[in-house]
Formats: sequence, C-alpha cells, structure tokens
Amino acid sequence: MLGLITFLSIFPFYWMFIVSSNTDAEISKSPPSLVPGPRFMEVANKVLNAEGVYFSQALINTFIVGIAVAVAQVIFSAIAGFAFAKLQFKGRQFSILFVIATMMLPSQLGIVPLFIMANKLNLVNTLYALIVPALVTAFGVFWMRQIIDAQVPNEILEAATIDGASVPRVFWSVVLPSIRQSSFVLGLFAFLASWNDYLWPTIVLQSPERFTLQVALTQLKPLYGLDYSLQMGGAFLATAPLLILFIFVGRRLVSGVMDGAIKG
Amino acid sequence: MKKFLSRSSFLGCLVAAAVTAGVLTVPAKAADPIVLTIWTFGEVIQPGLQREYQKLHPDVKIVPIKNDVDPLHQKTILSCQTGGPADIIAFEVPYSGYWRTGNRPNCFQDLRQMKTSATNVVAGVEAGLSALDIKKNYLPWRWEQGVAFNDSVIGIPTDVGGLQVAYRSDLFKKAGLPTDRAAVSKLWPTWDKFIETGQKYVSKLTAAEKKSGKGFIDDAGSIYAAVMNQGTVKYYEPNNTDAGKLVYKTNPQIKKAWNTTVKALNSGIGARLGQFSSDWNIGMNKGAMATILAPAWMLDYIKKQAPDTKGKWDIADLPVGGGNQGGTELGIPSYSKNKQAAYDFLTWYLAPEQQLKVFKTYGLFPSTSVLYDDPALLEYRDEFFSNAPVGQIYSKGILKLKPIFEGELQRKIDSTFGAGLGRVASKKMTSEKSYALVISDIDKIFKN
Amino acid sequence: MALFKESKGRQKAPLTPWKKKSTKEKKTLPGIASMDGRWGYPAIAPFFLIFVVFGVAPVIYSIYIAFFKWDPLGESEYNGINNFIFLFQDSDFWIALRNTFSIWALSTFPQMIIAISLAAILRNKRLKGKSFWRTILLVPNITSIIAITIVFQQLFGRDYGLINGILGLIPGVDNIDFIEGVIPSHVQIATMITWRWVGYNTLIFLASMLAIPDELYESASVDGATKWQQFKYVTLPSLKNTITFVLIVGTIGGLQVFAEPQQLNAEGGSTKQFLTLTLFLYNQAFLNNKYGYAAAIGIAITIIVLIISAINFVITRKLSGEGSR
Repeated sequence: MLGLITFLSIFPFYWMFIVSSNTDAEISKSPPSLVPGPRFMEVANKVLNAEGVYFSQALINTFIVGIAVAVAQVIFSAIAGFAFAKLQFKGRQFSILFVIATMMLPSQLGIVPLFIMANKLNLVNTLYALIVPALVTAFGVFWMRQIIDAQVPNEILEAATIDGASVPRVFWSVVLPSIRQSSFVLGLFAFLASWNDYLWPTIVLQSPERFTLQVALTQLKPLYGLDYSLQMGGAFLATAPLLILFIFVGRRLVSGVMDGAIKG
Repeated sequence: MKKFLSRSSFLGCLVAAAVTAGVLTVPAKAADPIVLTIWTFGEVIQPGLQREYQKLHPDVKIVPIKNDVDPLHQKTILSCQTGGPADIIAFEVPYSGYWRTGNRPNCFQDLRQMKTSATNVVAGVEAGLSALDIKKNYLPWRWEQGVAFNDSVIGIPTDVGGLQVAYRSDLFKKAGLPTDRAAVSKLWPTWDKFIETGQKYVSKLTAAEKKSGKGFIDDAGSIYAAVMNQGTVKYYEPNNTDAGKLVYKTNPQIKKAWNTTVKALNSGIGARLGQFSSDWNIGMNKGAMATILAPAWMLDYIKKQAPDTKGKWDIADLPVGGGNQGGTELGIPSYSKNKQAAYDFLTWYLAPEQQLKVFKTYGLFPSTSVLYDDPALLEYRDEFFSNAPVGQIYSKGILKLKPIFEGELQRKIDSTFGAGLGRVASKKMTSEKSYALVISDIDKIFKN
Repeated sequence: MALFKESKGRQKAPLTPWKKKSTKEKKTLPGIASMDGRWGYPAIAPFFLIFVVFGVAPVIYSIYIAFFKWDPLGESEYNGINNFIFLFQDSDFWIALRNTFSIWALSTFPQMIIAISLAAILRNKRLKGKSFWRTILLVPNITSIIAITIVFQQLFGRDYGLINGILGLIPGVDNIDFIEGVIPSHVQIATMITWRWVGYNTLIFLASMLAIPDELYESASVDGATKWQQFKYVTLPSLKNTITFVLIVGTIGGLQVFAEPQQLNAEGGSTKQFLTLTLFLYNQAFLNNKYGYAAAIGIAITIIVLIISAINFVITRKLSGEGSR
C-alpha cells in the first residue's frame, strides 16, 4: 500500500526527469520511454544558463520570500490568534468571522487593486511586493486561533496571571512554547504557498533578477508550441532543491510533530 | 524537548530576511549600458540576433522578458496606467485591434515621430528614417495592422505567418495520390476539392488505421481560420470610425468558412488532434495525419518534433491560394525612457537583412516584402521538406492576401467561433445549434 | 517549567470544534477573565493593520466596482445591480457552478478518505524511515502546477495516453476523451488536485492522530477491540474536529479551483465543460476587461462558499454530537 503511494507520489516527478532528459522526438513516441535518456545534463545546463533565466538567483529570491513570509505569518498569527482565542474584548466575535469570510473571496480579483496600491507605494518589481501582502493571512490567524484554543488550557493561563505575569509575558513564556510544533507546520504551509504562487509574482515582478522560481520557469517557453524537455527540466530543477531540503529538515519536522504528541 | 527554532531565532530570521530583501531592492546604479527591456512572448526576439546587436553596440544591453500572451496583454494595460520599465512591447495581431481604437494608441509612441540615429548605418540602416520612410519595405496589409485609426504608427510588423499545406508525400503515395508538389497543388484549387481529396485518402486507410484515429488532416477545424483570412472582412467592417461596424452576424465570409469547416469535420477527414497537444506531437511521428495547414513558423516545429520524418514532407499550395496565421507587432510604450535606443534596435531588428537571417535560422517568414524579389529568399530550399523552395511558395501565397480590418474584440470573437467548431468536431452539438450558441455567446460579450 | 506538566494527558485532538459560527451556544467565552482584555486590541493591531490594507482593501474594491462597468483604460459607468441581474441569467455562470461543485465533490471526499487512511498507516511508530515517508507526502505540493498539468495531459491523452492504454486492455472499453467529456474532464482535474493536496492533508491528520494518547488504544485492545474497531471508535471520534477543519478549509479552496482548469484550456473547454467559477471570474476580468462583472462574480462566489461552509459545519457538528468523547 505504502509502496503504491510512494509510486504515485513520485511518478509524475520521475516522469519530469525522464522527459527532460530525452529529446522531444523521443517523448513523442508512443509508448513513451520509461527510462531516462542521456540528455539531462545538457538540458540542465540550458536551463541554468538560459537567456533571461537567472536560475540560481530565482532560487535565492524564492527562498528569501518564502522564509520571510513563513516567519512573519507565524509571529503575527500567533499574537492575533492568541487574542482571538483567549482574550476578551469587544468585537472579537465579529472580527474573527470577518477574517474568515475574506478567505472566501477569490484572490484573483484583488490583483488589479493590489498592483495599483503596490505602484503607489513604489513596491513594484521588489521582493517586498511579494512579502508585505503575505505577512498576514486569514488562514494563519484562523489556524492559530484553533491551535491556541485547543492546546493551551485556561487553567495554566490563569495560574500564570495569578502569579503576577502580565499578558505579554504570559504569551511569551506560556503560550508560545506550547504551540511550537503547530507553529512550525503553519510556517511550512506559508512557505509552500509562497513557493507555489505564480499569478501575482508574474504581474508585479518586472526584472529577471527579481523573479521567483515559478516566474523564471515561464521564461523557458518557446514561441509556438511547447519545448517539453526544457520546461520539464526547469520544473524538475525547481523542485529538487526543496526536496533535498525537506529530506534534511524532515527529521526535525518529524521529531517536532512527534515530540509534541508524545509529551503533550 | 527539542526546539526547532528558539523564539529569538524567529526574530533573527525575520530581521535577516528583511535586510536581504532590502538589499535586493536597492535600485541598480545608473548603468553605463543602456538597458532595453523588451516585453515579449516566446522567441519573438531571437537570441542570435540579440547577441549580434549587443556585439555591434556594447553600450546597449537587451533584456527580453517573456510572458504568456494574455498576461502580457494585462501587463501592457496595467503599465499604461501606472508606467513601467518596458522599452519595447510585442503584441499579437489579434490584439492590435484593441490597441488601435479609442484612446489606446496613446499608450504607444507614434513611430512616425521617431527618426533613426546614425548608430546603425554601418549595419545597413540609414539615419533619419521615420516609420513612414520604412513603410515601403513591408507588405501593405501587414503594415496596416500596426497603424492606429488616428493614423499613428504604434507597431511595426515582425513576421507574417503565411499558410500553405505541408503534406506527407510518402503517405500520399501509399494512397495512390500524386506526390509531386505541383501536381498536388492542382488537386485542390478549391476547398471542396481539398475535402474530396481527403475523403479519397481516408477511403484507402485500413480499418485498423482508421480505428487508431488516423486521418487526412490533423485538425479539420484549422480550415476555418484559413478560409476567414482569405476574405477581406472578418468580424468588423471598416466604416471610417475607429471601432468599425460589427458584422459577425451578417458577414457571408463567416458562414462560408463555418460551413466549409463543418463539411470537413463531418466528412471524417480529420484526425481530431488538437495542434500542439501531446497527442498531436506523437501523431506526427506515427503518420496520424497526411497534411497540416502550416504557417511558416510551424515548419521548424515539425522538424523538431518528428526528426525521423525528414524528407518525407513536402509543401503544396493552399486551396484558393493565399493564407495567413499569426503575426506580431513590436511597439514602443509611451512611458519608455529609452525611446531612441529602442527605436534604433527595432529598425535594425526588423530591417530586411535581419529578417532574412531570422527566416533562414528559425523559419519565421519576413513581412519585409522587398525580400520577396530577393533570390536569397526565393531560392532558399529546405531539405526536410524535400527541398521545397519554401521562400517562393510562401511569398507567393502571402502576396495574394488582402488587408483585413481587425476590430477591438477580434481575438475574443475568434476564439468563440473556435469553441463552436470544437463542439461540432466532438459531436456534442449539431452545426446549427453550435452556431447559434456562438452568436449568443458573442452577443453576451457586448451586452453586459 | 512546572506549568507544562498539566498539559499532559489531554484527551482532545489539537483542534477544537469550530465554535465561532454557532449563535446558539451559550458556553462562556473561552477567554480568561483574569487576563487584561485590553491587551486584545494591541495584540491584533499589527495583524489588522496589514490585513486591512492588503486583505480587506481588495474586498471593498470588489464590492464597490461590482456596481459599475469598469474598464481600466476607459471610463467607468454606474451600472446599479445590472451586473448581478446579468449574472443570474448568464448560462455560463450556471455551467461554471455545476462544474465547480462536481470537481469539488470528486476531489474533496476521496481525498479525505485517502488522507485519513494514510495518516493511520503512518501513525505506526514502529514504521521505518518515517521522515522519508513524510517528505514523500509533500513532493506533489512543491511541484509546479504548470509542469504537472503537462504531465497529466500526457497521461490522460485520448489517443496515446497511458491511462487510456491501460483501460484499453479491458475489452469493450473505448478510449475516453478526458478533455472533451464533462465528467471525464472533471475526473482529470480532480485527480490532479487530489494528487497535489492529499499529502498535505495527511500531514494535518497525522498531527492530530499523534496527539491521541496511547492509553486509549491500550485500553481498547485490552477490551478485545480489533484494529479496525480501534480505528472506528478511538481514532475517528477524536478526529472529528480535524475533519471539520480540513473539510471547511478544503471547501473554501476547492470551490475556488482555478489553476488546473486554466492550464488545460484557458476558456474552460469548448463547451465550457470544466469552466470553474474562479476561472470564469478571471476571464471576465482579464480577457474581457469587464472588471465590474468579475467583481459581481466574486461576490457571488463568496456567498456560495459561505453557504456551503455553513452547511458543512452544521453537518459535522451534528455528527460529532453523537458518540464523541
């Protein structure tokens, strides 16, 4: 069963590798070859050196944006989520509902006003244009609210308050440590969302040096039709670094999730 | 308890990220090279020629940025409002209808007011040429596609698609059809004869071949565009206003194109392979189609996708004669900060000499009609296509074409008709019903 | 710290029932009366500041221009509620609605079942190479959508695709056209979506499952419960809250599917057979330059998602009302 899952999960990725390592003619054969061809290094080279595709720069840009967004979302969502979960203040009910409701409006609609706004703030063609709008999301706050509500019992908070801790101190010393692994998961999801985003970056980033990976990949398209091996090679190379990173960070992710489970 | 990130390193990360992002957004210092940013799609700007120009002019750096056609259109619209970094923008002919009307030409620099500098005299481009001076080098109707209704020249044409029939001489032979290109061209002076030939071909296919989906032509739906472009009016009729008069309901050419295509679809000559789909690529290798209505730029594609079929193809005339598919304009947005350098590059790139080079390397057919008398073009032969004189065949066809008025929503209306034919092709609707749906869909676009 | 010991032995899964939507619950607010509530405002201020500018402004903009005809390079003219009236009569809207629901159903429910099953399998602490499996789960999510659509198109090709190749081995089965057919095209899109997100959701379920204390399973097996019974009576009830969360978030996302259909065909297919609501919106705005109409569509989508989410919530609350711990 697990073997099947692995196979299904990996197969399209493996397929990309095959396609990028064969010539277009090979790919158009049927039945298609299931074995990688010899051209991978050549294609990889083309991708990395293609005109207007600054691949390694794009990789760095994507990481910078992703990490900044992940960290910021966790922090802001944790603070706001804590307030929504545990503090009493007027308008709390309404605000959280409003926030959740905004998730239901398609983001594509917001692109034009966002662009005009970014232009007024002189953020067009900067990485900030990608980071700033993503510093906070409704999803992040919603997630944190649920997490804090469930994982931080009121008794602890009351005990801390009775001990004389101020609210910020309670947040810092009591709440934050207990939501560590869930925060990590949120950060991961935020990073992935940023990694996959292509619509907004395509519109707002103008110079190739500023491109993120998804946008850089669009530079590989030929004039008419498709150059399969080049595009697949690009997609493959765009996914591989993250994959490698996961394999190393994955251990921490696993133990983080599991620790939280066993001990709490 | 293992900590993944301590709280303070959270903050540390954020600070580091902010600093790095800040560093990256520091604007580039005023560079010595002039940077020409070109918003384009695919390879409208050929890398080879780009390098050549940069060698000629070490003080100019060319940065093409590719987009998909529709997002590019969006960016052009947005940047017209807010300003942007582009110095040259490519737009496809179907969109030219949009840019030529109303206030929109103001988004582009009127090229009649630009003059070439002396910088490219060495390379063969005289100084002091405005758009009006170079107009004579180009096909008249192709030139018109870059002229706004207020007569301002907003774009200069790059290539012209042209359209002829690429056919598999080996498959024709098998079916008992002539193989010599003159003879083949005689087979179909009209579209009806083309369809008849197709039916003859299909009747000779074995049952197994028919079952596997083989056909005479890859996609019978491609006939629609071919017929439409052989007329003089598409969806808008020129009436001395910039918008033109909408005639999508009354233009007889549309009906003719539609009916011809439906006839072809219903006669079973098509292999129903959408162009550029993966099935189409594979089908090319397997001989699933014996003909393709091919614009000049597609020939290169066929070579790449099906190298094993080298020498098995040839090129014959399109029925009725003259056809076109595709074409791009290059213009300079009015907010560009490097207009002179951009104009110099444009005029160099689109000059006949360079366009000939593009043709020989990439197969894109030049719109510079002065070349059509040039032996270099006329005698150019392509081995892959049985040494067919590609230059001669395509220029012949192109010269037969007449100008067609392109209106504002040309592209949208075109794709609606295309979808309608698709429905007939997949037998989801009858021709009448589908046609009615097309008309009502187009009505909707204008209604709300 | 001594404060943490008390959080052990929690019996609940990490995510609590969604409380916010119930107007009937008279439960006391979960806030701490002893903590100074005035900290609420500064706490949410940074969030709200940015959120209002970048999250709320587009919403306000949409609501505003939904009542106009708006072309960025032209003039805007006030249009009253005509955009909405037109929408109601627009057959494209209803087709998109049908398609969106169909794709949503085909992708959400099988995905949940697979995700829960997978999480159950991966929960096994004795499984070797855990981090490997968990990385595998996320591979689909990090691959570019554009590339994946190309791959799946090849797999689902009408004449030469792998899937039709396998189906062709079954006698009497004709090649299925996974682009032209209504349901087949939905199946293709739903497969792409499921492939992409099932690992992600498995991770969420896994996190919840791991919070279920072992003692519950031990006492269940001491009572003689089989693995399946343990799953049914220990695991599932504790997951009800996570299921709700995943379902709601999945619904909000699933009803806004956009990238996959768009990559297959920008217009949603020749008979609009896989035109989804969001693609419909995008095309009206970016292809037809009718931003006002697109805004009206956006509002319609919001209302639809709201209704469905509310229904989802009510149903899962009813289910969790029975037999939960």
